[in-house]
Amino acid sequence: MEKHPVPVQLEKVTKIFRDPKSRSDVYAVRDAELQIESGELVTLLGPSGCGKTTMLRMVGGFELPTHGRIRIGGEDVTYLPPNARATATVFQSYGLFPHLDVFENVAYGLHVRKVPKAETETRVMEALGLVGLSELARRAPGRLSGGQQQRVALARSLVVRPQVLLLDEPLSNLDALLREQMRVEIRRIQKSLGITAIYVTHDRVEAMSLSDRVVVMKAGLVRQVGRPSAIYERPDSKFVAGFVGKVAFFPVEVLGEEEDDTVTCSLAGRRIVAGSMAPGVGDKAFLMARPESLRLGDPGTGACDGTVSTNVYLGSSVECFVATDYGEILVQIDDPSESRVRPEGTRVSISFDETRVRLLPEGDE
Amino acid sequence: MSTLGAPSLFTKKKILAFLTACAVFLAIDLWMFSALRDSYEKTVLQDKKELIVALARSAPAGGDAAAADAWLAEARKAYPAVRLLHVQGIPGADEVKVSSLDPELKSLWAAMQGEASFKLGVESASYLEVFVSPEPVRLGAQKSLLMFAPVPNKEGDTAVGIVVAAVDESALTSFFYLTYSLSVIAFLLFALGFGIATFSRDPLTGYAILVLFAIVLTFVAYPLFEALRLTFVQQGRFSLAVWKEILTNKQYLGALAGSVKLGVLTATLSTLLGFLFAFFVARTSMRGKKLVTALATLPVISPPFSLTLSIILLFGNNGLVTKRILGLDHFSIYGLGGLGLVQTISMFPIAFLTLAGVLEAIDSTLEDASLDLNASRWSTFARVTLPLAAPGILSSWLLVFTNSLADFANPLLLSGSFRVLSVESYIEVTGMNRLGNGAALSILLLLPTLTAFFVQRAWVAKKSFVVVTGKPSGRLSDLASRPTRILLLTGVVLTSVFIVSLYGTIVAGCFVKNWGIDYTFTMVNIVEALQRGKAAMLSTMTLAGIATPIAGFIAMIGAVLVVRKRFPGKRVLEALMMTPFAVPGTLIGISYILAFNQPPLLLVGTGAILVVCYVIRELPVGLEGGVATLRQIDPSIEEAASDLGADQATVFRTVILPLIRPAFISSMSYTFVRSMTAVSAIIFLISARWYHITIQIYNFSENIRFGLASVLATALIIIVLAVFGLMRVLVKKSEHLEKTVTVQ
Repeated sequence: MEKHPVPVQLEKVTKIFRDPKSRSDVYAVRDAELQIESGELVTLLGPSGCGKTTMLRMVGGFELPTHGRIRIGGEDVTYLPPNARATATVFQSYGLFPHLDVFENVAYGLHVRKVPKAETETRVMEALGLVGLSELARRAPGRLSGGQQQRVALARSLVVRPQVLLLDEPLSNLDALLREQMRVEIRRIQKSLGITAIYVTHDRVEAMSLSDRVVVMKAGLVRQVGRPSAIYERPDSKFVAGFVGKVAFFPVEVLGEEEDDTVTCSLAGRRIVAGSMAPGVGDKAFLMARPESLRLGDPGTGACDGTVSTNVYLGSSVECFVATDYGEILVQIDDPSESRVRPEGTRVSISFDETRVRLLPEGDE
Repeated sequence: MSTLGAPSLFTKKKILAFLTACAVFLAIDLWMFSALRDSYEKTVLQDKKELIVALARSAPAGGDAAAADAWLAEARKAYPAVRLLHVQGIPGADEVKVSSLDPELKSLWAAMQGEASFKLGVESASYLEVFVSPEPVRLGAQKSLLMFAPVPNKEGDTAVGIVVAAVDESALTSFFYLTYSLSVIAFLLFALGFGIATFSRDPLTGYAILVLFAIVLTFVAYPLFEALRLTFVQQGRFSLAVWKEILTNKQYLGALAGSVKLGVLTATLSTLLGFLFAFFVARTSMRGKKLVTALATLPVISPPFSLTLSIILLFGNNGLVTKRILGLDHFSIYGLGGLGLVQTISMFPIAFLTLAGVLEAIDSTLEDASLDLNASRWSTFARVTLPLAAPGILSSWLLVFTNSLADFANPLLLSGSFRVLSVESYIEVTGMNRLGNGAALSILLLLPTLTAFFVQRAWVAKKSFVVVTGKPSGRLSDLASRPTRILLLTGVVLTSVFIVSLYGTIVAGCFVKNWGIDYTFTMVNIVEALQRGKAAMLSTMTLAGIATPIAGFIAMIGAVLVVRKRFPGKRVLEALMMTPFAVPGTLIGISYILAFNQPPLLLVGTGAILVVCYVIRELPVGLEGGVATLRQIDPSIEEAASDLGADQATVFRTVILPLIRPAFISSMSYTFVRSMTAVSAIIFLISARWYHITIQIYNFSENIRFGLASVLATALIIIVLAVFGLMRVLVKKSEHLEKTVTVQ
């Protein structure tokens, strides 16, 4: 690939749609600031309607931002039409041309660029080889399976050697097994070609497993940007914590910060030390704990007591639901054995792995 | 990817293109403006001239000054705006007596003796010619044109005096300023629209929007406005006279009542018959459904006059059945009965197609549930099937009703003394030369259509509970009991046989020497009809052939704009494109003669007006087809093409057009067939050079040359069937496409 990967910048990008029914403005994306480095794969993650697809479509040129600028490789492309941008999109519904066969589909972008016939041929076959579809070049897209159609769409985008690859929930129409395979595949191809990529999904596992960085969005706002592990372990809000994984919250009073950056707080009078603290935490806060950072003990030994309500056996682990004053708390028991799993109905106490629990500001679902 | 380097939308190339377009438009604008002004001046001057000449004729030829003064006083009473001067005798030849009630004019007359225009005026008058001064003269406060009109003697061969009239010129100048400001506004609007389009991200879409707007404004909005204006304006003033006459005259009201009566009759009969057929096809398991469907849809695509023709051949004054077989002497098929019959046969297919769709969509498990709950077949039909189909039944009734009102061809041949609006307005225009009344009558025709349309929207749409489950309903439980089935079958078979025999009659008519009198076999008709109809046939096919691709492309581009683009005024554009669907053909015809009979848009008498008429009238159906198809196509297919580097034109050519090919082809074949078989609008627009095949059939029938008419009608049926056959083959080829279009 002769082209060097380029960075993508969004500067105060806002998109307002007008709701024709209520005649009011709806902010699809609000003041989004985002810097995507060259060759990076960034995921836009959020619930449906959070503006992630709109953001991707603005980078692709399918929507115009109401305010703000978009730069690709430092150049302002805000008002350029899609055909004048060095982006290529893999659509959720693939958008394959039903009247063209697989080869012609992939060759389309080269045809409109007037690439010579011989070169077209080699590049198309190369792209089809990359996604493992060389055998099916003369098939009509309607006669391919979902996964194959998805690969054609990917090959069609890659063959034009885009500087930025945009993927709009590309795996949402595939079954679970295929989705896992394609996830790995997409990451491998993106890294081997060194393309900058933006990937939209509402599936947190997908986002965690394939991206360099994750952008969590809600209601048009970018809530947090960071590496997958940072987003998972050190979220800044209850929303992000809850969206990227299973989590339990305990209302606590903050007592004071220690020198080693840990924070002491009290949960209904019991002293607890939390490993870290998100910005904006006041006197009252929420203690966030992932199921794997919780332990079960005999009543009275931990931070809070409760009764085991349900055990869900998952093979490598058991999910144990404990009814407490703070609601149903999920505790994950790894390497389950008879001795570690408590029968349903027993009184237990929950204790925290102090290095892995974190304080989050109040409110803000 | 060279375009990547240009983030600015104001490139040199675009600015140049913009300036060129503005210059071209300005030139056209100025030309149109001057043409308009000229033609207006001419007509205004002509009117005034005629008035003055008539006045001069009434002036006293001889007699004393008192007679002249009396005449002047009377003239002033009748025409206060015209300032007159009466000259007894011709200056230079006779003794001259000048009298006027206008001292300014009198002193002007004295002052201009010897001037060039004075001499010319007097000279023209002495030769019994009217003279208009080329330059306006100042007369008191106003600028006026002077007209010299001769006062003829009793025999009318020599001038014995002159009437000089001063006509106020301000009416002309105010019109001049009006057209001038209008053309400036037009230019500014154009520059604005074109500028926005050129410098936007997507110039091509902008241009397409501008062009479509220009087309519908010129060929839909403007003519209809002209027609409406004509009914409210008389001699330059607002007046309700036309409408008063229309709404009080018994003859016109009779026509309105006739139209409504016929509409109700046809709609009711057609819906009954259509329901019978639809129930047979959609709700029973009897055999022969395909054949029945084919027979029942045949009348939809059959050319006008053909069914009327065979009805006349069978049941007319010299009809095969009435005269030859039954020997009736005083039976007349002309009138409400015959019209109802022929309209029912040609329009029940509309009801059939609508109702078959509705009945097929009703989930038969609902009926099964009712039967399972121990309801009888009849009560299941009456309490489940019928209520579910009710909105569909009403909407089919309304559809047939509006079609019957707008129908022109059948009543034209078959109405006899029975009067309907569409034919009445035709007679007003072509027979009586009363365009205003004709226009008003056709507008009257529009009212029931619009009412039906809004009833449809408000009630039917709300009440529609057609259940589409998408699950295969499996076997139908037969609702019809044995006697019902026999009754149903009898009705369907009888109607089908009747339809077949109607078409058989037309074909038979080609080979009969003189229908009704001499039934011997002959080929003479065919030779003569083809000879005499050749020119009309050729011109019709040429014009329909030109209109077809134009209509197809406009419809498809319109569909893309409607479905895929967002722009201000989209609703207006869509409404204007759909308008011709609701407007009766007679109204379109009349409005076109009104709008396009003078420069700059002098189209009447040319082939172009026929082409425009075909394109505009068939646009709504093509548009609907394109919109429906496009709605089923995933927009990301087009986005993918654009994303891969294709510009708007390339996307349209390489992706959209191939994908909407079925709609494109069917819209084009529909346009061709409908254009070939058009009657109502084009009967106003044809000329000797550009004749139309259907009008030829009408003329042959009017002249009782039924043999010739049959030959042309048969030829037309063959063409229609051939085009539809070709369309089916072409569409079938791309059917594999339709199935994979939605890859969701």
